[in-house]
This record gives sequence, structure tokens and C-alpha cells, in this order.
Amino acid sequence: MKALILVGGFGTRLRPLTLSVPKPLVDFANKPMILHQIEALKSIGVTEVVLAINYQPEVMLNFLKDFEAKLEIKITCSQETEPLGTAGPLALARDKLIDESGEPFFVLNSDVISEYPLIEMIEFHKSHGGEASIMVTKVDEPSKYGVVVTEESTGKVERFVEKPKLFVGNKINAGIYLLNPSVLDRIQLRPTSIEKEIFPKIAAEGKLYAMVLLGFWMDIGQPKDYITGLRLYLDSLRKKASPKLATGTNIIGNVLVDESAKIGEGCLIGPDVAIGPGCVVESGVRLSCCTVMRGVRIKKHACISSSIIGWHSTVGQWARVENMTILGEDVHVCDEIYSNGGVVLPHKEIKSSILKPEIVM
Amino acid sequence: MGGSEERVVAVIMVGGPTKGTRFRPLSLNTPKPLFPLAGQPMVNHPISACKRIPNLAQIYLIGFYEEREFALFVSSISNELRVPVRYLKEDKPHGSAGGLYNFRDQIMEESPSHIFLLNCDVCCSFPLAEMLEAHMSYRGMGTILVIKVSPESANQFGELVADPVTNELLHYTEKPETFVRVSDRINCGVYIFTPDIFTAIQGVSSQRKDRATLRRVSSFEALQPANRSLPSDFVRLDQDILSPLAGKKQFYVYETTDYWEQIKTPGMSLKCSGLYLAQFRRTSPDLLASGDGTKNAAISGNVYIHPSAKVHPTAKIGPNASISANARIGAGVRLVNCIILDDVEIKENAVVIHAIVGWKSSIGRWSRVQASGDHNAKLGVTILGESVTVEDEVVVINSIVLPNKTMNVSVQEEIIL
Repeated sequence: MKALILVGGFGTRLRPLTLSVPKPLVDFANKPMILHQIEALKSIGVTEVVLAINYQPEVMLNFLKDFEAKLEIKITCSQETEPLGTAGPLALARDKLIDESGEPFFVLNSDVISEYPLIEMIEFHKSHGGEASIMVTKVDEPSKYGVVVTEESTGKVERFVEKPKLFVGNKINAGIYLLNPSVLDRIQLRPTSIEKEIFPKIAAEGKLYAMVLLGFWMDIGQPKDYITGLRLYLDSLRKKASPKLATGTNIIGNVLVDESAKIGEGCLIGPDVAIGPGCVVESGVRLSCCTVMRGVRIKKHACISSSIIGWHSTVGQWARVENMTILGEDVHVCDEIYSNGGVVLPHKEIKSSILKPEIVM
Repeated sequence: MGGSEERVVAVIMVGGPTKGTRFRPLSLNTPKPLFPLAGQPMVNHPISACKRIPNLAQIYLIGFYEEREFALFVSSISNELRVPVRYLKEDKPHGSAGGLYNFRDQIMEESPSHIFLLNCDVCCSFPLAEMLEAHMSYRGMGTILVIKVSPESANQFGELVADPVTNELLHYTEKPETFVRVSDRINCGVYIFTPDIFTAIQGVSSQRKDRATLRRVSSFEALQPANRSLPSDFVRLDQDILSPLAGKKQFYVYETTDYWEQIKTPGMSLKCSGLYLAQFRRTSPDLLASGDGTKNAAISGNVYIHPSAKVHPTAKIGPNASISANARIGAGVRLVNCIILDDVEIKENAVVIHAIVGWKSSIGRWSRVQASGDHNAKLGVTILGESVTVEDEVVVINSIVLPNKTMNVSVQEEIIL
């Protein structure tokens, strides 16, 4: 079985992290974002994944070579020379997605982290016999997105309503699709929106069905949602009683600690923290609701909450970092500094406190 | 005065990618030394100035950029200016004097009698021939280019005191802590040395090897692995050479009365581009554009337009505008005090004032990109990074926009990541 992952462009919303690596390679819960999707696909028997990208293919391809070998799954890139929207890339990758088997293929969105009930989706697709299945998820603020209106009992999609002003439903497109190869015949090789042009046509013919995604879902394409997404992800690990979660007297709530990371005495870690490979957390450190990426050193007595600390950065002794502070790669926060929502570009040293949210270039 | 034996070598320090983060967002995609001022890469200006040095044998660029980033530039500038230029990559930081010492074998290859040291991010008239003459009359180890500045701005620089008659450097401290200044002259970052400078640098290295320094190091320096003191091959020109040797009849000063600025930020690069345009008006006016709005666009003040750029005759350009290769300036466009980089498209009736528009960007019809024009303020010059699109009728004021963004709503005083 095959799958396409829409990777898209520059990931500007996740800057400054995406100034150092392309967005799919930004780590989430100690693993590159795209690896979560590739592993989920591999686990249900997908043998080939196509990445639809239009930015930094060399960096992606290098990284993927390692994972192709480790995971024993074929990974190829389909590179857009001009942005093709959300459907055009499927047409571009047509030859890679269709083979003699006539099997349907998955389409995933690289910004989305979720439960990935892909086996259930295959069953659902077989049982309704339609041309395309999409996953929908329930949200609190449907008007921020496009709402999918479905027939309650069958899940047949009636229509899409973009950012509705009146309540029409609370399920939105979760960005996970299972499509029959015939869908590709509907897509021309030009900038095309799958939600605005392709799906409505299939729905009008009564051949589009939606399955409600149970379990967590998050678009982690921007820092605030990234942090919320980590909480949901770790919560789902807890529900599965995953052994990956850390335990100990210095751990509160759901915490992920890479086995190569070191944590000192007298720390209090959690809830909702991920500590990456090679990190050193010195003694007396308090961490909550934060991500600490590969190679970071947090010095003694520091306190970090609701923030993202980029690769190989350091946070000084007694520093306090909070309120959506995002440190890019190789950022060094000096001792005793306070950062309230500082967004710091790579290779900087923070020598004076940031009292209110600001971008440090 | 020396004859053909007196070969001179020039060394230009160009820095590297993780230093000079103040030049972002322009430096995110292009090395700062290659950023164009008045239509020529920043480093071209000191290189061209070096051509006026009698008996110049070689120019070295020393920095931390990968060799491949400079390979193309170095070979084309060598051909274009018919002067040998080589790029030498530093493997680790050695400090301003340590870097020079690190490459002493290459620098001394041609047995030069004098060595110029220039900083790439200095904007001035580079009176190098005059400096050489003055230096030879002083007969010291080195001569420093200095300039008088206003008392207010002097505080950000080191304290430099010279004898008014002999021009000997009597006293030098980098960024003193006391607020009482006795001097209004500052170090321009342009020096000339005789080869015994290498002996002086080596002396500092050896001394440091022999005894531990008592200086308190910043917590950042303390992060360097296994370093509780500066490594012995890390030698800074100002603190380690000029300060201790001031007053010992080793160093002298040569004063320039022309312009001088440091090009640390995008805002300052716009100001310095204007200074170089004014310099072209004096020395090579044929490089500048002219036009009265009939067959060509109306030009006001000093303007540079690359030969491959297309400017509609109804546009009005200048003063202080610089338009790079393949840019397309549409009908009725107004450009004032700005740098328009390669492949930019500016559509009809747009206005750009006090801004830098990055490579391949697109400025929509009737849109307005402007700023207060305060070159020193963080948001005083609007900067659009590479491939930024400003849609029709959108206004971007006093803002910085990082590469690959599309501005479809108006903004003021913002940094758009």
C-alpha cells in the first residue's frame, strides 16, 4: 500500500525552529515530526511513502536515507517546482501512487499529529464502497476552520462550509484521507485545493464519506499548538500505559525523557515535558509544559515553562524562561536572565532579560 | 621612499555566518560581505580602495564562511579589478590579531614590507595611499586610521588618545567604563603594519601560555569547552596589542576627515549605500543614473541602476536609490532612499521609501513600503527579506519581514517571522 504526505513549503509559522531545519524534521516528542506519520503508515503495512515537498529537498533526502534503511520502507520525494496547493501534488506524484493493484492510497498532512487509526479507516472505506474517505475531528471552535457536514448514520459527506458564521456542525477536516486511484483522474496538474475543488465534487456525487477521529488531533504548525499538541500526545501515551513515559520521584504527570539525557538531583520535571537526546538537565531545575530539543543544557536552578528550547541551546543558572519563549538552534541564555515570550533566532546570546514578548533577531 | 621592493599586502576581515546576527534578515540568505552597497558587494569597496595602494601584491579575505560561498566572488573580482584576491577560511576564532597571525605564512609569501588590515563592515573613503605615506614617515610598527566623532557618539567606542604633534598613539582602551572621556577620536578599524606586528602577536600568545590570566571571563566565554581563560592563540588587536603598546612609540594615528560608519545593521547598510553613492558622484559619476522623465525615468539625486534592470519612464527614482540586476520597476513607481535587490518586481504606482526590498520580492500595485528613515532604530528602515510578496494596496511601515512571507494585510512596527 502507498501513501503521500503533503509537506509543502517554508514552515514560516514555526520559525525560528524552521530556520535551522525543514519543518517535517523539527522534532516533536523527541522524534522528527514526519517520522510519527511514517511510522504509523509503516505499522499498517504501507510499503512506499511519497513526500510532496517544495523546499530544501536535499536536506530532506539526506535525512530520509537513514530512515529508509532503519524502517525498511521506501521513501521518495515528489518535488513541486511551483506551489501546487493541496491537491496538485497528488497529480504530480500520480505515477508513484498508482500501481496494478488498484488499491486506495493514504494522504496525510505533515503538520498533523494524531492517533492515526489507519486500520479502522481502511475498514470504513471498504464498508461504504465510496471513492474517498476523510477523517474528521471534533473541535471547540469550528468557525476557525472548514466544517464538514455529514449524514449522521452513514458518514456520507453532504457539504463543506468554509469558516461558517452560523453553527452547521463541529467536525472539521483532519487532513487524513484514503483515496481510490480514480480520484487522481479528477485532479489536474495545476495549483488546486482539495477541500475547495476536489472533495466538494466527489461529495456531490455521494461518493465521499467521513469518519470521526476518536482520540487526539492537533495541527502543530505553530508554536502555541505545538505545545498543546505535546500535552495531547503524551496524554495518549498515558492512556496506552506506554513504558516510554518517565517515572520517578522528580517526575510529575506525563514526561518523555530520551535515554541518553541526564537529569540532576533535586529537579522537578513535568507535566507535559519532552527532553531530547543528549540533553543535560543540571540539579535543581524545574521544567513544565516544555520541549527541550537535542543537545540542550539546562543549568542549575533554572525554571522553564510553556516554551520550546531549540537544539544545542543553553539556559543559564537561575534563568527563568516562560510564556511561549521559543529559542532557535544554538541560543545561549545567560545566568539569571528572565525571558517572557522571547522568540530568539539561531546563534544568539541573551544577555539581558526579555520582559515582554518580542522577537530577537 | 621604497622602490619596487616595497610590496604591500592587504588583509580584509570578512567575519562569518554566526557572527553579525545584527545583519539579519538580509544575512539569512547571503553572506553580509556580499550584500550590495551602491550596486557593488560590500567587500568590493575596500577591495577597490586597495587598488590605489602603490605596489599592491595581493589581497586576502579572511573569514569563517565556507570557501564555496566566496569562491565565485573571489575569482570574478580578481578578473574584474585585475588584482589577485584570495579567500582564507579560519578554522576557529583567533581574535582580530590572532587571525592575522594564523595566516602569517601566506601573508608573508611575497615578503611584503607593509600589511594593511581592514574590516569589511567599515564604510569610509579608505585613504590607503595617504596612510601608507604617513606610516612610512612615522616609522612605527603600525598606523591606525582615526576619525573625530561627536562627543555623544564617542561613548560607544574605545578611548583613543594621540599626540597632536607626533601623532603617536599614547593611550587606548576598548569601551572604557568611566563616563569621562578625554578624546573625541575613535579607531576606524583600518590599520597598516610592518611585519614586526607578527612578533608582537606571538609575544602575547607566549605570555598567555606562560601565566594564567586573572581577568574574569563572561559566562559565555566560560561555555567554551575546557577554557577558563582565553586560549593562547586568541589575540585581540585592540585589547592585547594596541592597549599595552600605546605610548611606547610603536603605533601612530592618521586622521581622516571624510565620512566613516560601521555597517552592522540593515538600516546602516542603507545609509552607507547612500554614502558610497555620494562618493561615486565625486569620483566616478558615470556609474550613476541620469534621466528627466522623458525617454528615461526621472532621476533625483544619486541613483545607481544596474544595466539589466528595467525602469518604466514614468517612474521617479531617488535620491539615494540603488536598483540591482534584473529588477523591474513599473509605471508610476516612486523610490526614495532604498535598496532594491536582484529580480525584484515593483508593480505600478507603488511607493518605497526608506526600505530595503529583498531578492526576488514582489511589491504590488499602489502598495506602500516605508519607514521613518532612522538608520539607527531597530525598525527605522523597513526590511523585506528574500522572496517577500506585498499584495496590491497593502501598507508595510517600520517593519521587518523575514523571507518567503506574503503580506496581505497592512502592518506597522512589526517583525513578521
